[in-house]
Amino acid sequence: MTPAEILAAIEEVARVHIGFTGSLRPEMRMVEDLELDSLKALTLALEVENRFRICLDPALEATIETVGDLVNAVGQLLADRDD
Amino acid sequence: MTTESLGSWLERASRRSDVGLRLLDRSERATWYPWSEIRQRVVATCGLLQRAGVRKGDRVALVFPTSIEFIDAFFGAVLAGAVPVPLYPPVRLHRLDEYSARTARMLRAVSARMVLADARLRPILGPAVAAAEPSLGCRTPGELKPGPAKPVARTPDDLAMVQFSSGTTVEPKPVALSHRAVTAQAVALNAHWPDIDGVVNSGVSWLPLYHDMGLIGCIFTALERPGTLTLIPPELFLARPGVWLRAISSYGATISVAPNFAYGVSVAKIADEDLVGVDLSGWRIALCGAEPVVPRVLRRFVERFAGWGFRPESLTPVYGLSEATLAVTFSELGAPFASRHFDRDRLSAEGRAVPAADGLELVSVGRPLAGIDVRVRDGEGRELPPGRVGGVWARGPSIMDGYLGRPEATDEVLRDGWLDTGDLGFMHDGELYLTGRKKDVLILRGRNHSPTEVEAAVDEVDGVRLGCSVAVTWLPEGADGEVLLLLVEANRGAGRSDDDELIEACRKAVRVAAGLEVDVVEVLEPGTLPRTSSGKLRRAASLELYLAGELVPPEKMTPWRLAGAAVKGSLEVARLNRKNRGRG
Repeated sequence: MTPAEILAAIEEVARVHIGFTGSLRPEMRMVEDLELDSLKALTLALEVENRFRICLDPALEATIETVGDLVNAVGQLLADRDD
Repeated sequence: MTTESLGSWLERASRRSDVGLRLLDRSERATWYPWSEIRQRVVATCGLLQRAGVRKGDRVALVFPTSIEFIDAFFGAVLAGAVPVPLYPPVRLHRLDEYSARTARMLRAVSARMVLADARLRPILGPAVAAAEPSLGCRTPGELKPGPAKPVARTPDDLAMVQFSSGTTVEPKPVALSHRAVTAQAVALNAHWPDIDGVVNSGVSWLPLYHDMGLIGCIFTALERPGTLTLIPPELFLARPGVWLRAISSYGATISVAPNFAYGVSVAKIADEDLVGVDLSGWRIALCGAEPVVPRVLRRFVERFAGWGFRPESLTPVYGLSEATLAVTFSELGAPFASRHFDRDRLSAEGRAVPAADGLELVSVGRPLAGIDVRVRDGEGRELPPGRVGGVWARGPSIMDGYLGRPEATDEVLRDGWLDTGDLGFMHDGELYLTGRKKDVLILRGRNHSPTEVEAAVDEVDGVRLGCSVAVTWLPEGADGEVLLLLVEANRGAGRSDDDELIEACRKAVRVAAGLEVDVVEVLEPGTLPRTSSGKLRRAASLELYLAGELVPPEKMTPWRLAGAAVKGSLEVARLNRKNRGRG
C-alpha cells in the first residue's frame, strides 16, 4: 500500500470507530489534533491493527506523535510482513 | 489446622483439571488453562524469581497485559513469599513521559525490588526503572533462569499484595493488604453467591488485572472456589463491547461484574448483529460497581438486552473500595435493583434523606457483606441515625493494614480498626445509599484518577494561575456517569472574549497529560476558589460552591474591612491576609 492509501484507510477507521469527521493530514498530532482521550486512542490503535492485520509494538507506538508517524509505522509493519 | 492462603488455594485447585482460566485473544479465540496446569506454571515462576534473588517480603512490581503470564507472575511471587504489586500498562498512542514519571513514583512508593514485565512492554519501562532503580532490575519471565521452587509459608498477618487506590497520582497511595484481608474477601464473596439449582457458577471478566475488581473479585474468587473464569483483554471490550456478552453466552457464565459505564457503553455500541445466537438467560449475577450506579443506565440495559434473555433481577449494584480490599456492601441477589426518590433540597441543604415521590433517584448499594460493619458518622466521628447523610465508615477482616510506608496518610483514614471510606451516604431501611464523596478522587469509567494529575497539566497552560485550578468529578442528575469539571482561575480574570481559547487549551493539556476528556471548564476570577487556612485548595467545597452557583471572587479587601475583621480575632485576620496575598 502507498502512504496515501494507508492514510485514507486510517481516516476511514477513525470515521467509523471514533467518530472523527474531517480529513486526516500527516502533520496532525494524534492526541492534540485528533482529540484522542485514552478510550479513543485505544480504540483507534486496536482498530488500525485490525484493519491492517498488524500488531503495533508498544515501544514503536510510544514514538508516534503525528498521523504521519502512524502511517509510517503501519507502512513499515506491512513491508516487514510482506518480506 | 490448615490456614486459608492463596498458596493453599492453589494447591487445592491444582487437583482440578476440569476448571481453570480461559483467556480470549483479540480474535476471541480461547486458550484453556486448567488450575492443575496453572499451578505448575506458577511453581516454575516461583523458581525463576527465587533464583533471580527475590526473597520473602520483597515487592515485585508487575506490568503485564491480561495474559497467563500475569497469573504466573502474580502467584509465582506469592509462592516465593514476595509481595506482588500490579501496575497498569501505558495508555495507547499517548506519549510516555507522564506514564514513566508516574510509574517511577509508584515503584519508589513500594520500594520495588524487581519489576517483572511483559517482553513487549519492557522497552518502554526504561525511564521509570532508571529513575526508581529496583535492585534486581526490570526482567521478563522469558529471560530468567529456571531454578528449584521453594515455596515460602506466610502468616495471615503477612503482606500479600499492594494495590494502588488511585491509578495515577503525584503521591501514590499503596494499599497494603494482608493475606488475611484478601482471603477473607474472596471467601466472603464466594459464600455470598453459592451455586444454586445445581448450576455451578463461572465468571467472565474483561476488567484489568491491576484493578481490584478484576484481580480479587474475579481471579481470587475463581481460585478459591475453585471454578472457571473467562478473561477478555480490557481493550477488546472497550473497542468492541459485544465480546463481553458473547463470552457470557458462549461459556455459560453466571457471574460477571462491570462498572456503570460499561452497561451504558453496551447499550450504545452493541448492535443486534453482534449478538447472533447470544443467550443471556444464564447470567444470574450482573454486578455493577466501582463507580456510582445510575438507575437509568441499568434500566436501559435491561430493556436493550431483555430480548436476548437478560433478566432484570440479575443486576446487582455493589459498593466497595481498594482500601477495603474490594467489596463493602451488596444489594440483594436475585431481586431487581432497588432505587428510591429523596427530597433534593433536604438532602443537599440539611443532609437528611426524606422520601419524596418526585425527588432525586438514588440506587441502594445494599447491605454489608458478611463480616463487615458499616456506620455513617458525622464530621466528629459520632454515629448518625438512619436517614442522615454522613461519612461512610467500614470495619472488618478485609480492611487494609494501611498505606504502605505512609503512616500519616494511614492515620487519616484508619481509626480503631474503622476505615473512613471518604464516601458520603446514608442508611435507609438497613441499606446504604451513596450521595457523594469528600475524598479527592476522580472516578471516570470505573477507574480512579488523582485530581493533582489533571491540575498539574492545567498549570502548564498560559494564562492559568499556577496552583489555582481544581479538578473534580460528580454525578449530575440526568447524566449517565460522573462528569469531569475543571475550575481554573485565570491570571487576567474571567468573562473575557478569549475565555474559549483558554478553555480549549485546558482541555488539550488534560487530554495530553492524562488521556481524559474534560466535560466542563469554568474560568474564574483570581481568588475565587476556596482554600484551607494553610492555603490548600478545597476541592469538595469548590464543587459544592460551584453547584450552588456561589463560586464568586472575594470582595476587594480594603484596610477598613481588614480593621473591622481584626475584632473577630487574630486567626481570622491571618486568614484574610493570606487570602489577600494569594491574590497578588
